[in-house]
Amino acid sequence: MSTINHHGSHAVGGHHDEGSYLAPKGGLVSTMWAWATTIDHKKLGVMYLAAVLTLFFLGGVAALAVRVELFQPTTMVNGKVTGQVFQDAGGAVAAGHAIYNRIFTLHGAIMVFMVIVPGIPSALGNFLLPIMLGAKDVAFPRLNLLSWWVYVVGSVLGVVSIIMGGVDTGWTFYTPYSTSTDWDVYMRVVLMIGAAFVLGFSSILTGLNFVVTVHKLRAPGMGWFDMPLFVWAIYSTAIIQVLATPVIGITLLLLIFERLFHVGIFDPAIGGDPVLFQHFFWFYSHPVVYVMILPAFGIISELITVHAHKKIFGYRAMAFASLGVAFVSFLVWGHHMFASMGEMASAVFSALTFLVAIPTAVKVFNWVATLYKGSIQFTAPMVYALFFLFLFTIGGLTGLPLGTLSTDLHLHDSYFVVAHFHYVMMGGTIISFVAGIHHWWPKMFGRMYNERWAIVGACLVFIGFNLTFFTQFILGTRGMPRRYATYIPEFTELHQWSTYGSFILLLGFLVHLFVFIHSLVAGRPAPKNPWGGLSLEWETDSPPIEHNFHHEPLVKHGPYDFETTVPPHWDPKDYPIPASNFTADKH
Amino acid sequence: MMTSLFEHGPLSATLAEGNALRDFIFGTGGSGHHAEMVEETFAWIFWISAFFFVVLMGLTVLWSVQYKRRATPVALVSSSHNTVLETLWTVIPLGILAVMFFKGFQGYLDLSVAPAGAIEMDVRAAKWDWRIIYPNGAESTEREKLGSAKEIPIFYMPAESPVKLRMISSDVIHSFWVPDFRGKFDVMPNRYTYYGFTSGPIKGDKKLEAGPFAGTPYEDHWLFCAEYCGDSHSEMAAVVRMVPRETWAKIVDGWSSAGLTPVEKGKRLHTIQCASCHSIDGSKNVGPSWKDMFGKTETFTDGTSGVVDDAYVRESIYEPAKRIVAGFPPQMQPYKGILSEDDVTAIIEYMKTISVNHKPAEGQK
Repeated sequence: MSTINHHGSHAVGGHHDEGSYLAPKGGLVSTMWAWATTIDHKKLGVMYLAAVLTLFFLGGVAALAVRVELFQPTTMVNGKVTGQVFQDAGGAVAAGHAIYNRIFTLHGAIMVFMVIVPGIPSALGNFLLPIMLGAKDVAFPRLNLLSWWVYVVGSVLGVVSIIMGGVDTGWTFYTPYSTSTDWDVYMRVVLMIGAAFVLGFSSILTGLNFVVTVHKLRAPGMGWFDMPLFVWAIYSTAIIQVLATPVIGITLLLLIFERLFHVGIFDPAIGGDPVLFQHFFWFYSHPVVYVMILPAFGIISELITVHAHKKIFGYRAMAFASLGVAFVSFLVWGHHMFASMGEMASAVFSALTFLVAIPTAVKVFNWVATLYKGSIQFTAPMVYALFFLFLFTIGGLTGLPLGTLSTDLHLHDSYFVVAHFHYVMMGGTIISFVAGIHHWWPKMFGRMYNERWAIVGACLVFIGFNLTFFTQFILGTRGMPRRYATYIPEFTELHQWSTYGSFILLLGFLVHLFVFIHSLVAGRPAPKNPWGGLSLEWETDSPPIEHNFHHEPLVKHGPYDFETTVPPHWDPKDYPIPASNFTADKH
Repeated sequence: MMTSLFEHGPLSATLAEGNALRDFIFGTGGSGHHAEMVEETFAWIFWISAFFFVVLMGLTVLWSVQYKRRATPVALVSSSHNTVLETLWTVIPLGILAVMFFKGFQGYLDLSVAPAGAIEMDVRAAKWDWRIIYPNGAESTEREKLGSAKEIPIFYMPAESPVKLRMISSDVIHSFWVPDFRGKFDVMPNRYTYYGFTSGPIKGDKKLEAGPFAGTPYEDHWLFCAEYCGDSHSEMAAVVRMVPRETWAKIVDGWSSAGLTPVEKGKRLHTIQCASCHSIDGSKNVGPSWKDMFGKTETFTDGTSGVVDDAYVRESIYEPAKRIVAGFPPQMQPYKGILSEDDVTAIIEYMKTISVNHKPAEGQK
C-alpha cells in the first residue's frame, strides 16, 4: 500500500503541463542520446518495437529464401545441378545444401530468440503494462533500460555470427551435432549460442520487472481481478521467464564449455549424453512456447472485448487459464522427445501434454462466447482477432495428433510439425502482435492509419499464411521430413503452392508497412479513445504525456464493464466515455 | 478388452482402404498393420477436431454477422459467466483427451515392442548413409541414384514378416523413418534403440526386371533420415524394397562376402561404405573421386603435397582429418573400429584397379 501512496503523492497536480513523450528534446543528437539513455517505459517499448520489427524483416527474408530454394528439388540434369538456388562456388550439391542449412537456422534463431520471445512483452508489454495499471512507469525503470541494452548486445552477437558465415545447427542446437559442426571455425557457433544466452538475461530482467510492477504499482481501487487480461497474460509470461530462462542459460553455457573445453556432458564421443541436452533444452524451450503464446492470448482478450463492446466471458476462468497454462507448461517438455525416450517417460509426458489442451481450449471457448450479443465493429484489429481465432484453433487442434504417442511417431520432425508450430507461433503470436500494434498504434504514436488498407493487408496475410502452411500439413502426413534442402519429386507441387503463399504473405506485410509509414507521415491525429475501450490506457492522451497521466487514476469500474458503463445512446464520436475512471482534483 | 474397444469402434472405418480422404492425407503407400493403426487413430482425432473447428468457427461467423455493430455501439446485456456451461466445456474435452491418450499409447507400444519370432537386423547410421546388416552379416550391394545423383542403397525386406531393427549411429543423432510404415525412432550415437514392425503385403504390380530373380513382385518404400544431421541430411535416404520372404532369403544369401578376392571385396566395401562421398567416375562429391586417384600427387589443405599411396589411404581411412585434399571440406568420420586392416587392404587393391596413375610393381623389386 505504501508504494501506491508514495506514487500517488508524486502524481498529484504534477504533470499538467507536460508534453507528449515523443516530443523531441533539443537537436537530433541530444534527442537520440535522450532515447538511448531513457528510462521511460514507453520509449523503451517503442525502441523494442522498432528492433523487433527490423529483425522480423531479416528473419522473414531468410524464410523467403527457404521457400525459394524449396520451389524445386535439386536434381542433376546432364551432369549439371538444377533446381538449387543457393550454390557453393565449387558447385557441389552438398555444399549448396550447407548454405540452405545456415539460412533455415538463421530464420529459426532470429524468429524465436529475437522476435517472438521478446516481441509482445518487450514492445507492447513495456509500453502498456504500467499505463494499464495506472502507474507512471515500471517498478525498476533503470533495470528496464539495462534489459534493452542487453537485448541489443545479444542481437548484435547473433548478427555478427551470421556475418561471419552463419551456423548450421538449427535453432535447437541439438548435440552432438552442435558440438561437432564447423569445428574449424569454432567461434561462430559459440557466438550464436552466446547470443541466445545473453538474450535470456534480457528476458529474465524484463520478467522480474513486470512481476514486481504488477504486484506493487496497481492504481488505487484496482484489485487483482480488476486488471485487464493483457496484464494477467504478461504477468503469467513474466513468471515463466523468470523461472525457466535460467535453465537455458545454464544449458547454453554448458554447451559453450563443451565446444571450447571438451567437457563431456552432451557429446557421447567423450562420455556425454545427447538426450540430456534435449531434456535441458526443452525444459526451457517448452515453457517458452507459452512465453510466446500467452501474451498473444492477452492481446486477443483485449481486442475482442473492446471491438465487440462486450464483457469478456468467464473473466476468472481466463485469468486462471493463463496461470494454469503457465504451470502445466513446466511439465510437458518431454513431448519433444517421444522418438528418443523410453516407454514410461513417453506415456507420462503424453498424458501431461493433454492437460495443457484444457485451459487453452477454455480460452478459445470464452473468446467465441464473448462475441454473443456483442456490438461488433470490423476494425483492422478486430479482423485480425477473428483471423487469430481461425488460425489458432487449427494450430491448437493439430497439436492433438502430436501429443498422441502413436501418431506423433509418424508426424514428429515432419512438415506436419512445421505447419503446426507456424499456425501457433505465427498464426497465433505474430498475427496477434500485428493485431495489437494496430489496436494500440493510435495510442503509441498519436495518429490514425488507413483502416481500409490495413484490412486489405490483413486479408492478404491471412490468405498467404494459409496457402503457405496448410499445404505443409499435407506434406508432413505424406512423409516430407523437416529441415530438408531437397526432396523427392512427389512433393514438388505442394512445395510450390507453399512458396506462392509465402509471397502473398510478403505482399500483405508490405501493405502494412506502407500503411504504418503513411500514418506516421500523414495520419490524422488520434483521439484519446478511438475504439471506446474502458481500460486505463484509453483515458490518457494519444500519445501519452511523459508521466502517463495528468492525475493519478482511481479505478471505479472493471476494464470490460461495457454493458453497465456505456450509456444506451452513447455516440461513438463522444469521447471519452462518460463515467470515466478519473475524477478531476480528487485529492 | 481395450483392443476391441478401440479397433472396432464406430470411427474405425472412417479411413478405410481406398478412402479418398485417407489417400489425400497420407497418400496410398501405407504398409503394414502399424500403419493402419496410426491412420485409424489419426482419423479419430481428425473427426473430433473437425467437429470442434466447425462448431467454433460456425458460431464465430454467425455471431459476427448477427451482432455486427448497428446504429448504437452498445452491446445487449447477457451473462458473462455460466458455471454449468463452463464446467461442461472443461470436463467433456478432458474425457475425450483421456481416450485419445490411451489410443496413442497403445499404438506406441505396438511399435516399440517387437513382434514374436522377429527377424533381427542391425541398422547403422552415419553422416549421410544408412546401412542394414542382415542376420548372416551381409549387406545390400544394390544402389539407386537420387535426383541429385547421390547413390543410396536398396534394402530388401521380407514381406508379411515380423522384423526387429537394432539401431545405432556412429556420429550424430539420426532418425529412422519409413513414412509408409507411419512410424519413426531416433538412432542414437551412445545407445541402441529399437524399431519393430510386421511388414505388410506387397501391393501394386511391379516385378523385378533383371537378374536371377526377374519376375518377382516387389514394392518400394522410402526410408528418410528425420533428425537434422548436416549438409546432406536431405539426401540421407534409402529404398526399402519388399519382396516375398523366400526370395528375400535367397537374395541376402547371395550378398554374403565369403570367397571374394581382395579387389572384389574392396569394390563391395566401396559400394556399401564409401560411394555416397567418393565417386568412381571422376565426378566431384563430398570427397575426392577415386578415379585415377591412387598414385596421383595431391595438394593438401595445409599446403603440403604428397603421393596417394598405401600409407596415405590407410591414414585417410583411420585419421581422415590429418591430411585433406585441397578443395574438400573436413567432413569424413574416422573408420577406426568400423573397417578392419583386411578391409583397408581390400580398398587399396580396388583403388589401384581404377587408377591410371598406379604403375603396377615395375621397378619396386
